Amino acid sequence: MRFQFPSWLGLIGMCGLISCGNTEEEPITGPTQISLDAPDYFPSTIAMPTDNPLTAEGVQLGRMLFYEKKLSADGTVSCGSCHQQQKAFSDGNQFSFGVSDSIGDMNSMSLSNLHWQTKFFWNGRAISLEDQAIQPIEDEREMNLPIEEAVNRLQADAKYPSLFKNAFGTSEISSNLIGKALSQFERTLISANSKFDAWIRNEVELSPEEQLGLELFFTHPEPTLQLRGGNCSDCHIGFLTAGDSEGLAGFHNNGLDSEENLSLGLMEITGNSFDRGKFKAPGLRNIALTAPYMHDGRFQTLEEVLDHYNGHIQNNSTLDVLILEASNELPDGSGNVKLHLSDDEKAAIIAFLHTLTDQQFIANPKFSDPFN
Amino acid sequence: MKNILYIALFSSLLIFSSCKDEEVPATMAMNITIEHVLDGQALELNGKSFTLPSGEDFTPKKFKYYISNVVLTNSKTGETYTEMDSYHLISEDGNKNINLGMIPSSNYDQLTFSIGVDEVANGKIDQTGDLDPNSDMAWNWNTGYKFLVLEGEFTNASSGDRQGLIMHIGTNDNFKTLSQPLSGVKAGMTTSINLTSNLDELFLDPNTLEISELESTTIMFGEVAAQVAENYSNGFFTVK
Repeated sequence: MRFQFPSWLGLIGMCGLISCGNTEEEPITGPTQISLDAPDYFPSTIAMPTDNPLTAEGVQLGRMLFYEKKLSADGTVSCGSCHQQQKAFSDGNQFSFGVSDSIGDMNSMSLSNLHWQTKFFWNGRAISLEDQAIQPIEDEREMNLPIEEAVNRLQADAKYPSLFKNAFGTSEISSNLIGKALSQFERTLISANSKFDAWIRNEVELSPEEQLGLELFFTHPEPTLQLRGGNCSDCHIGFLTAGDSEGLAGFHNNGLDSEENLSLGLMEITGNSFDRGKFKAPGLRNIALTAPYMHDGRFQTLEEVLDHYNGHIQNNSTLDVLILEASNELPDGSGNVKLHLSDDEKAAIIAFLHTLTDQQFIANPKFSDPFN
Repeated sequence: MKNILYIALFSSLLIFSSCKDEEVPATMAMNITIEHVLDGQALELNGKSFTLPSGEDFTPKKFKYYISNVVLTNSKTGETYTEMDSYHLISEDGNKNINLGMIPSSNYDQLTFSIGVDEVANGKIDQTGDLDPNSDMAWNWNTGYKFLVLEGEFTNASSGDRQGLIMHIGTNDNFKTLSQPLSGVKAGMTTSINLTSNLDELFLDPNTLEISELESTTIMFGEVAAQVAENYSNGFFTVK
């Protein structure tokens, strides 16, 4: 016997709908939610923070704040000073200059695909983009402006209170909202139109040299099996070519310094001597545009970087085991840590790294200085 | 008025039927939790040193692996539950839980799953979820997935040097399926199965490994990788 749907059940359903209709609140007028324009081969599992949904108004405000020089003590520097679009949001200097020509001790990081990262700064001291975004404002070597003063300046400005109102529903500006707006803009800085991306999407072929470089990049060497590798993707993972976002796995000691000269790095944050000399593995998107290289900008060219990994690793007590155990030749008994790539193989890896350059990213008008 | 009467009747029927008797519900909530143990202690990846079965010290830095194709069986009735799209990346730093959600009720007495990724899924990397190649478990575009990753450092027993151990085990031959007996699973009852993965068993049973003696401590393909895979198909998991 087929179950008959009693007609009065339909009536109950109608009542339900009507009562819902009666209690429905007025349509919410507020910022327009938008989603990130990311390719389907980027991880889909990273949710937007529930307390900072992406909105058109928030992104627009964040873009203005990113280029707002009022956020520095003397009005000369903005985020965009050390994160310049044409250099994939790095600045080309070994160390960045803040207000009054004060100089930092870290290389300005390139910004792209930040939504998929979990810890920020070279030593990982910020656990969210929102937390990261406001720290350079207060840092005395960078913008050197107490955050309360930054809030006051924006509050007294003719345009900002209403822009905050549009983005967050309140014209009462706070450091929290400044961080949220800046991170919304930064999350939109997606770089996914390089030759590498076109190759992933099956739109182009790589040259034989680029193809060799790609294979070396993504291979950990195993000399007993004659498997040759450049060992890059152990730390620069997946399509993002960025550090592992899980736990502290994205921080590595890459053998830049001897034991005596090891800087604290991640240990400054964790207090764990196991973390001494470990720094964040950056994403390598647009790496050909972001010289100089390493957390302290010590290498001017990609050739110097490859030479370092190939033959000049300093062995020390926290050197990453993925580097310690990576060689294209069996140990010669000397105890030296060397990758033993040929010159052609190094050149191939560099050719592949150039396929990570995204011309549309550095020319995208949505990311440029709105005050120009 | 008549309608209201019907509604009242119907509602009371609903109430009665929902708390009527002790009939076994058609479905039950099933969850599997996993803990990682080495040398009898909870695994830590923060620099803590452990002792391997060989007596060598070992400081783990990364530990992750795939559990796939989860099946629950009631051997008395022949009922089985097979999870669809069953791929779980388990990681000491990340997820250590497999939530099967609501599954058909039965007195399941056997849990079967595989370590690694089956040949079909291992032959492509344009996949999402736990098979997303953006985790560091995809080797590259030709080689498929790493099934199990263990990385860490140890002191070489003869040279005294600090050395790294890189275990990246994959390839279809090393895809292993194992079964565990379950006890106390009652049809209809919310159930949590607690699995322990014992890392000592990667170095033992049947193949005893002394890592200081290995020609290469990068264990990726070849004979030693196959030995580790034999080890993880044997005693690596126990139901608590």
